Amino acid sequence: MNKPRQTLKKLTLILAIFAGGSLMLCGCANDEYAIEKKYWKIKKQVERILRNPLASPPNELEKTVEALNKFSEQFPKSNLGLDAEFRIANLYIIKENYDLGRQQLRKIMEKYSRSKELSAQVLFLIGKSYELQEKWASALEQYKKIMQNYSETIRGLEMPIYIAQRYKAKFEPDKMIAALQEAVSYYKGIAARHPLTPLSFNLDMLIAKCYMELKEWQKAVDTLNLMLATYNGKVTFEEILLTLANIHSQKLNNPGKAVEILEVLLTEYPKSRYIKSAKEMINRLSAKQ
Amino acid sequence: MTALKSVYRRTIQNIKANPVLFMPFAVFAAFEFVSLITIYLAPRMPLKLLLGPVIRSLWGEKFLHYPVNFILMPKLVSLARVCLTVFIGSLLTGVATLLVYNIYKGIKIDLKNIFKLALKKYISLFAIVLLFTLLFYLLDKITPKILVKYFSSGHSKLLFLGPKIWLGPILMAFNFTLGVIIQSAFIYAIPILMIEKESLTKSILKSLILFKKLFLKTLILIGLPMLIYIPISILQTNSAFLIVKLFPESVFLMSTFSLIINALVIDLIITLTATHLYLMHKNE
Repeated sequence: MNKPRQTLKKLTLILAIFAGGSLMLCGCANDEYAIEKKYWKIKKQVERILRNPLASPPNELEKTVEALNKFSEQFPKSNLGLDAEFRIANLYIIKENYDLGRQQLRKIMEKYSRSKELSAQVLFLIGKSYELQEKWASALEQYKKIMQNYSETIRGLEMPIYIAQRYKAKFEPDKMIAALQEAVSYYKGIAARHPLTPLSFNLDMLIAKCYMELKEWQKAVDTLNLMLATYNGKVTFEEILLTLANIHSQKLNNPGKAVEILEVLLTEYPKSRYIKSAKEMINRLSAKQ
Repeated sequence: MTALKSVYRRTIQNIKANPVLFMPFAVFAAFEFVSLITIYLAPRMPLKLLLGPVIRSLWGEKFLHYPVNFILMPKLVSLARVCLTVFIGSLLTGVATLLVYNIYKGIKIDLKNIFKLALKKYISLFAIVLLFTLLFYLLDKITPKILVKYFSSGHSKLLFLGPKIWLGPILMAFNFTLGVIIQSAFIYAIPILMIEKESLTKSILKSLILFKKLFLKTLILIGLPMLIYIPISILQTNSAFLIVKLFPESVFLMSTFSLIINALVIDLIITLTATHLYLMHKNE
C-alpha cells in the first residue's frame, strides 16, 4: 500500500512545480496585465483618500502622488500612465490644492500637446477646478479657449451647450439665451467648414437642440426638415421624425402633421424600435382630432 | 436494511486502510487544478494568444483585464469542471467504483487492470455522466428563465413573494435540490455498469429503480456532503464582493479551496458511500 502513497506524493510534487513555475513565469512578465495589477494597488491608495478627502493625512497624499508619479514614469506609453497623471491632478483638486492640481494639468497638456482631444479635456478640467472654487469667470475663460482652439473635439462641441446649461442651472435665463444663440452661430460656423459630413450632421442636430432649448420651435422644425433633405439616404431618420412629430403635436398644435410624419416613420422604418410608441402616438392623436 | 451509519463506518475504514481510494479523486483534482491555473493565466502572455480571442468574443474584452478577469473566473472554472467531469471524471468514477468493489470483495488491487476495465466501458461511462450533466444543466437554465419571464411579463408576486426572493434564495435552494435529486437518480448507474456489467440503458433503468427503493438514504448520502458546498457557492457567485472587500486574487484562492473540497471531499464521499451502499444492499 506504499505505492499509491508515493504516487500521490509524486502527483502533488508535479502539481506544485507546475503551479509554482507557471505563476513565477507570469509573475515576472511585465505585460499589460502586470501593469494593470500594479496600477490597481495604487488605485486602492487613491480610493482611500477619496473616501474622506479632507480628513486624510497630508503624508498619505504625498505617498500616493509619489506612487502615481513613479508609475507614470515607469509606464509612459501605457494609457494607465496617462490616467495616473490625471489622477494626481484630481487628488490635488479633491484635497482643495487647486493651484497644484492645475499645475499638474498644465504639465499634462504640455506633455501631450499633440493630442487635441486631450488638450481640450485638460482645459475643461482646469475650468471645472475654477468652478469648484466658484470662479466662474476664470472657468468660462478656459471653456472659451476650448471653443476657440479645439472646436472640433468632443469637448469643443459640448462646451457651448454646457455653458448654456450652467446658466440654466443658476437661474440666469438671459445669459442662457445668449449662450444658446452663440452656440447656434458657433455650430453653424463649424458645419459650414465641413459640409455633408457626419460632423455636420451632428452639428445640425445640436443646432436643432439649441432651438428647442430656446423654444424657437419653427426654427427647430426648419433645421430638422433641412436635415431630412440634405442627408437623405445617408443616415436613418427615425429619431428626427419622432422629434418632428413631437414638436408638431405638443408645441405647434398640429396633430395632423404629427400623424403624417409618424406614418412616414412606420412606412420607411417598419423594423424601427420606435414603432410601438409611434403607433400609440398615432392612436392618441387621431382620437384628439 | 443497511443503516447509513454502517455505510459511513465502512467507507471511512476502507479509506483509512486503502489510501489508493484517493487516487482517482486526486487525479481529477490535478486536472482541475491545471485548468484553474490555465484560467488564472488566460489574460497573460502567452496564454492570452490562445484564450484571449475566445474570452473576448464570448464575454467581452474587459474580462481580459485586471481585476475584472476574476469576476469571470468562477464561471470559467465551473464550465471547465463540467467538461472535465464528462470527459475525465466519468472514467475516474468508473475506476473508483471498481476500486471500492475490489476492496469490498478482498480482491488484490491492480490499478493498471482496473484502469483498463474502466477504459473498456468509457463510452457508457461518458454517456451516463453526459446525460445527467445535460439534464441538470438544462433544468438549471430553464427555471430562472421561466421565473424571469413570469416577473418581466408584469407579475409582481408569485405565491405572495417578490422576484428578489424567487430569483435569490428560492432559486438557489431549488437548484440545490434539483442537483441532489438528479445525481441521486443516476448515482447507481456506474456501479451497476461496472460491477454487474449491465448495458448502458439497463444500468440507468436499474439505477432509477434502486433510487426509488433507497430514496431517503440515497438523498441523505448525496445531499449531506453537498451541503458543505453551499457557503462556497454563495461566495463564488459574489466574486465582486471578494474583489472589493478582500483582494482580487482571493477569488483564485477561493476557487482553489472549492476545487479541493469538491474533488477530494464531496465527490469522494458521494461516490464511495453510494458504491458502498449499493454493495451492502446487494449483499443483503
